[in-house]
Amino acid sequence: MTPKGVTLNTNSHKIKFARRFIRTLLRMRKNAPSSSSIEEIRKRSQRIKIAAYSSMAHAVGSRRAWSRAILFKLRNRARHHGMMRRRSMKKRVIKNDPPGDQSQTNKLRQLVPGGKAMDMCSLLEETAHYISCLSTQVKVMQTIADHLSK
Amino acid sequence: MQPCSREMQGMNSLLNATQISLQDLQNHHHHQQQQHQHQQQPQQIQNSQIQHLQNSHFDPNNTHDDFLEQMFSTIPSCAWPELNPKTPWDLKPRDLSEETPPSNPDNNVPYQFDHDSSTLASKLRNHQISGVTKSSAAAAAAAIMLQQQLFMSRGAGAGAGESGLIQMPLSLGASDDVVDGSSSFKSPNTGGEGSVQALYNGFTGSLHGPGQTPNQAQHFHHPQGGQVQGQNYGAPSGVMNQGPASGSAGSAPAQPRQRVRARRGQATDPHSIAERLRRERIAERMKALQELVPNANKTDKASMLDEIIDYVKFLQLQVKVLSMSRLGGAAAVAPLVADMSSEGGGDCIQAGANSGALGRNSNGNQTAPSNDSLTVTEHQVAKLMEEDMGSAMQYLQGKGLCLMPISLATAISTATCHSRNAMINNHNNNINNNPLLQSNGEGPSSPSMSVLTVQSATMGNGGGDASVKDNTSVSKP
Repeated sequence: MTPKGVTLNTNSHKIKFARRFIRTLLRMRKNAPSSSSIEEIRKRSQRIKIAAYSSMAHAVGSRRAWSRAILFKLRNRARHHGMMRRRSMKKRVIKNDPPGDQSQTNKLRQLVPGGKAMDMCSLLEETAHYISCLSTQVKVMQTIADHLSK
Repeated sequence: MQPCSREMQGMNSLLNATQISLQDLQNHHHHQQQQHQHQQQPQQIQNSQIQHLQNSHFDPNNTHDDFLEQMFSTIPSCAWPELNPKTPWDLKPRDLSEETPPSNPDNNVPYQFDHDSSTLASKLRNHQISGVTKSSAAAAAAAIMLQQQLFMSRGAGAGAGESGLIQMPLSLGASDDVVDGSSSFKSPNTGGEGSVQALYNGFTGSLHGPGQTPNQAQHFHHPQGGQVQGQNYGAPSGVMNQGPASGSAGSAPAQPRQRVRARRGQATDPHSIAERLRRERIAERMKALQELVPNANKTDKASMLDEIIDYVKFLQLQVKVLSMSRLGGAAAVAPLVADMSSEGGGDCIQAGANSGALGRNSNGNQTAPSNDSLTVTEHQVAKLMEEDMGSAMQYLQGKGLCLMPISLATAISTATCHSRNAMINNHNNNINNNPLLQSNGEGPSSPSMSVLTVQSATMGNGGGDASVKDNTSVSKP
């Protein structure tokens, strides 16, 4: 039974995500030639991962706090990639707390996008929606991979 | 003495206390009216109302408390058009003394379903004639309401009847109350297009008493006390079938405005109340999460949070792995996977155990192998790997397993299942202890590698699995 705030992932999310994701993939394939070096491959996979998350966030829209956080992060990242690379490199350095000190809530906050600025109640709600969207995403990506590999 | 219709039973359940006498009266004529029922259009409200209204014994000697009962119950049905030409005074108290339903119900009745309302109108007039007191005016007015309601329930079909209905209350004019009531109900009558709700609101106004009536029924606030109200309940209760919500909605808004009443043994301090609300909300969300996350039979909040965290990490890892596999071309993935596994060793293990453990716990419909069949599978795969790596991989795939380097598997295990380490270690031990597999690790060195995917815990059998041939790790000594 879902609380009133959490809406179930309907087919619309799935379809929107799939459409956007495939479009992004095609665009990537068109632009970038087949890369052979490891570094480029890694970058490409990173880009694909980002594309997956962004298309999911766009499919959900601004309704959810986590999707808004992802979109915000993407825009900032685009801006930084365009202008100031160094600063973004610095920002990527994340302090690694010793794992024992972190409370569970903090871990969850780190995992869920935009979770740092939420209270426990909404954090759990966002987590529920985020999990459902993630599983949809994984399913769709899996089917796409299956189709591509055949 | 239970009436046979469902509506009647519903009303009975509502009105037991106050309606016993009414039921008695009704039952006498119930069977007589059944025939009339069948003739009429099968509208539920109408039926229920009709059955309710029709025919109790009309007893002029009853007290005015029973007045309404009599009014509603006895409906000597006379034709609707008969009402207009005849003066009210024509319908003399012959009806009053008659105990049988009138014999001319079917004469020149253009609208057969107007029986009851017409009879009710006649009844009303009769009571007006017989000296209706002011106190019973409310009942009379309620009768008018009922008539109008009856009428509205049939829709606007009977246009002529409607005009007659409007005329009728106006013609009575026996008391101010009646006129007021009629005028007040004229608006819903004329304005509404068969909206029973409006009338029902009016009814509920009279029913619910002074505190909670809607504005329409202000006129009918007579200090009659609960008795007449209770009796009024009988009439529109038939209408309640359609609109119980509005009645309950009328009384419901009052309740949430009251202070939240603390349960026994709990403080009424606002802080603690807020705290309690917060805790309840969190518990609610946790319950919802429990359904999403597989293997969520934990009742402890902390362990539940652990599960959630692990599951989110697992899903994110899956996305990452899948994004790697998108690049197609096994060769492309190989260095990546080798890269990932560079920290640990490179032995090939059956990571199907890994994801199988996850899948088994989470998804009931996964056919992850049990401990016994795992060794069998291992032997089988080892045998296949001697011949052809591809067939081995296909075999694994068919079983819903995949191969992955131990380092990756350990990475996954540490990332996702702290609590499941014990189980996975068991599996790993099983596999690592298998000499066949390890020895075969050096054998085949086919360069191709298929797509790496991780069997999803959430996916079904067919959709979720793929296999990895990590030959670089296989060939590593």
